[in-house]
Amino acid sequence: MKQKKLVNYSKFGYIFAIPFILAFLIFTLYPVCYTLLIGFTNHEGAIPPKLEILKDPLENFKYLFQKRPSGQMSYFLLGLITTARIWVINFIPQLGLGLLLSAWFTDNRVKVKGQGFYKVVFYLPNIITAATCAILFRTLFGYPIGPINDILKSLHILKEPYNFLLKKSPTRAIVEFIQCWQWYGSTMITLIAAVIGINPEIFEAAEIDGANRIQKFFRITIPSIRPVMLFTLVTSLIGGLSMFDIPMLLAQGGPDNATQTVAIYIYNQSFRKPYKYNRSAAASIILFIIIVGCSCLLFYLMRDKEAAKLEKLKKAEMKRNRLMARGA
Amino acid sequence: MKKIIASVLCFTMCAAMFAGCSSSDSTTTTAAGGNGGETTTEAAKSDPTTSEVQIGTGSIEIVVYAMSDEVPGMIEEFFKRNPDLADKYTINATVSNNDNQAYETKLNAALTAGGDLAPDLYVAEADYILPYTQGEFADFAAPYSSFIDDVDGKIKAADIAGYTVELGTNKGGDLVALCYQCTGGAFIYRRSIAKEVFGSDDQATVEAAIGAGTQSWDKFFEAAEALKAKGYAIVSGLGDVWNVCEKAAATPWVVDGKLNIDPMRMEYLDIAKKLIDGDYCNKTDAWQEAWYADMKDQSERKVFGWYGPAWLINYVIAKQAVDEATGFGDYAVCVPNVGFWWGGSWLLANKAAIENADKKDVIAKIVEWITLDCTENGLLYAWANGQISAAKDTVSSGTVMKMSDGSMDFLGGQNPFEIFVQATSYASAKCKCEYDSTLNGTWQEQAKQYAMGEKDKDAALNEFKDVAANAGITVE
Amino acid sequence: MATNTTALASSKQKDSIIFKTVIYIVCTILAILSIAPFLVMLINSTRSTAQIMAHAVSFIPGKELGNNIKLLKTKKTFNALRGMKNSFIISASVTVLAVYFSSLTAYAIYTYDWKLKKAFFSLVMGIMMLPGTVTMIGFYRACYQFHLVNNRLMLILPAIASPMMVFFMRQYLEGALSLEIVESARIDGANEFRTFNTIVLPIMKPAMATQAIFAFVGSWNNYFLPMILLNKQESYTMPIMVALLNGDIYKTEFGCIYLGLSMTALPLIIVYLLLSKYIVSGVALGSVKG
Repeated sequence: MKQKKLVNYSKFGYIFAIPFILAFLIFTLYPVCYTLLIGFTNHEGAIPPKLEILKDPLENFKYLFQKRPSGQMSYFLLGLITTARIWVINFIPQLGLGLLLSAWFTDNRVKVKGQGFYKVVFYLPNIITAATCAILFRTLFGYPIGPINDILKSLHILKEPYNFLLKKSPTRAIVEFIQCWQWYGSTMITLIAAVIGINPEIFEAAEIDGANRIQKFFRITIPSIRPVMLFTLVTSLIGGLSMFDIPMLLAQGGPDNATQTVAIYIYNQSFRKPYKYNRSAAASIILFIIIVGCSCLLFYLMRDKEAAKLEKLKKAEMKRNRLMARGA
Repeated sequence: MKKIIASVLCFTMCAAMFAGCSSSDSTTTTAAGGNGGETTTEAAKSDPTTSEVQIGTGSIEIVVYAMSDEVPGMIEEFFKRNPDLADKYTINATVSNNDNQAYETKLNAALTAGGDLAPDLYVAEADYILPYTQGEFADFAAPYSSFIDDVDGKIKAADIAGYTVELGTNKGGDLVALCYQCTGGAFIYRRSIAKEVFGSDDQATVEAAIGAGTQSWDKFFEAAEALKAKGYAIVSGLGDVWNVCEKAAATPWVVDGKLNIDPMRMEYLDIAKKLIDGDYCNKTDAWQEAWYADMKDQSERKVFGWYGPAWLINYVIAKQAVDEATGFGDYAVCVPNVGFWWGGSWLLANKAAIENADKKDVIAKIVEWITLDCTENGLLYAWANGQISAAKDTVSSGTVMKMSDGSMDFLGGQNPFEIFVQATSYASAKCKCEYDSTLNGTWQEQAKQYAMGEKDKDAALNEFKDVAANAGITVE
Repeated sequence: MATNTTALASSKQKDSIIFKTVIYIVCTILAILSIAPFLVMLINSTRSTAQIMAHAVSFIPGKELGNNIKLLKTKKTFNALRGMKNSFIISASVTVLAVYFSSLTAYAIYTYDWKLKKAFFSLVMGIMMLPGTVTMIGFYRACYQFHLVNNRLMLILPAIASPMMVFFMRQYLEGALSLEIVESARIDGANEFRTFNTIVLPIMKPAMATQAIFAFVGSWNNYFLPMILLNKQESYTMPIMVALLNGDIYKTEFGCIYLGLSMTALPLIIVYLLLSKYIVSGVALGSVKG
């Protein structure tokens, strides 16, 4: 009923959305299309020649997956795997910590004091510039002199200073640690909000039935907050896929490409000699497809389920009506 | 509680900032009292709130890109000497270090983007001069002859070092860049350590100990062993030796589009391994804090010496070893075991700026004054005699070098110019190519991985070849 | 029977104490982990390089803050005041544009019934998470072609289309704005644009405040795009300066680096501590929607 009254005003819907649409067209859609185009062209070199589609338009894409001369997997694929690896290893403890802390902080039998303080402190690293954190950790893990080496030496864990940033796994571990350290607070707060949103009567009923803490957590809490967990997962995944600042500033993607994420690969290919804009555009497109896939998943997960059901019913009914009309 | 913490922090920060502003008045005196190397830096900051160099008050803006404040400092001096020009022009300098190729990236972007913000004058270092003179950015560089008269005659008169001209000449044979320094290298050692380990601190003793001029590393490692026994490191890190091996090579990384690894550079892998396995160095990375700390005498194990040209003494070591406690006066220079050169900054002018009648004249004057004026009024003379930066440097002009006295208190009164001029004979452009910036970094990284025992030699070589192939070089 | 229950109760109580202790220990360790790096940074920024070399960790602040400031000022690329000014100009503009136009767009989606609304909203959700990395090549090359490299507007204007914020604003409107208010404004003869500015915006204030904080912090912390787009030192933002702190030619000091880092982190820490209530609740608010 309400909507019918508004019909006259519908043009304002368009008018008010115009700035958004314009900005979107200019600053997002155009660059995306342009990137797509560049991926198929000869656009490379410090001063690129006139844009021309390559004879083999997929050349750049093929290069991305071609093995290196030494027979190892291509730098792009390695970058994808590295990115995925860093993300997975950072996300598991991040979600685990988030879940654990959210369960503790919402436990109505054990009232944890100082919750506000803990929340504020846990979220603190998230607010600090990633670039600052990366340089800070680079200095903390400094070799041969640095606070971490200093502490480990005075605790007699190490005899000699250890060059963390020279070795692949430790460097990757540091990147993973920083990512996790920056984000678990955010995950925790999100999950706490979700747990609080669960109908308390469910918990009360479970308690009356004699469920213990662990049972409640696995049988009630986790199933109820599953959508929020998925939301966290997908947003974190998309953020993780475009990870750049920390691995770049901590170790320049090194040592030996151990922390070269796809984003760093794209940057290095286009802003370093021999300035392969086309190659990095092709890489961007593949990343784009992966991210859009993730976004669609997110969209699907977050759609209004009830509304979608109604819509489906409506459509089915209309279809039936039409069929009946035809049949008649 | 949080608010209290916040306000305390807030107060600290404000206090820090005020302290910063008020203390700037006293900085000049501190710098003068120290080694004096910072005078230009300090003087450039008349306004404590701006850090980029703003020189001149005129309406026409000259955009300068540089990887250090050396050239902006020179232009400032030029304007000081020519106040009429300072009223007409303003220098707007962007200074960025080249850590992780940051400066190159910025300069390339600014050059290709063009427009008002394009650099009019720009500086490139030895490691990446070729892309700007002969490579993909060569088209931006204006030939010196297009704005300076009789360039060839002036080069002859000044007796400019051959390799600086060679690297500054484009494929068409036009000179587009010149270096004001001459960067032949020497071995810079600590007198006190030489006395303790080799019995004497004089040049000949140390030269004999490290095998000066032998073009081999055998004596060097013997000396390293002797030093190690007394608790010293012969050099600070692998990077120090790399500079020697890189420039001692007879061939560049890329010959006819194909990857080429010079034997000297190949040998660096073994030298690096030996330095680490034998524990002869402090394992520092050049230009990082620990490396500087070695110069400040702050690390557990003192370092005997450094491979470097004159600028390494004046702008790097002397800035760390500022008093007797940290080694001021305790240094001396001798001929290195392997001849090499390192660094140098070339000055280029943008074609677009030369086409602009408003800018052409002043750019011509600045460039000529910095690179070609071999009189006592020119920059070269001032630079060699420490008139501008209070530090004496070897300059590209042989004529000027003959007129100058290089003795320094920092070296205990020694005059190193003779050794550095002699070292110029090793300086050649033959080992350079356009890919140096990328490949030198990768080679050092791989050598380090190999030396530190992270991978074997084949793996290091393969990785290096992969990177070269990815950069578009043919690899066999 | 009675003794049994008390025993059970006391054992339960014991369990609960142990459980609580575990919670506090874990939380305290995590809290230390969160704070310690920043504490080391702040303390070391007041110590000299020599002191840091001897003992990289100390709990007592040194007296070299003034000296470190002096040294930091010799670094031409690092100028905290200018960096903050640049970052502030960009972040503040981004915040204003993003918040205003997102509210407007959300209002358009929520209030009006237009044909393409559904498709439009799907689009908003589809591109909600698109990071700058994937559009970077096209964006940079386009800026390059139109001579817009180095132009701050290219970092500011894209904020007009902030899909994520539109999404949250719409969610908020759903709960906070009843269409009757809009109706009655219409009856009073107000035009649509004025209705939005005078009636709807004030209602949206709480949502705008939280979203503003996030937009501001997000823009302030952005490193990737400004690094690519800005070539001139006078327009460098804070994160670009931080990235150039390391490996300065001719001079690098530990104390200096810590001080530089502190100067970039302190404003954020202060703002965070003052606004933490809103930020923490904002994070919670932003995500329950899933």
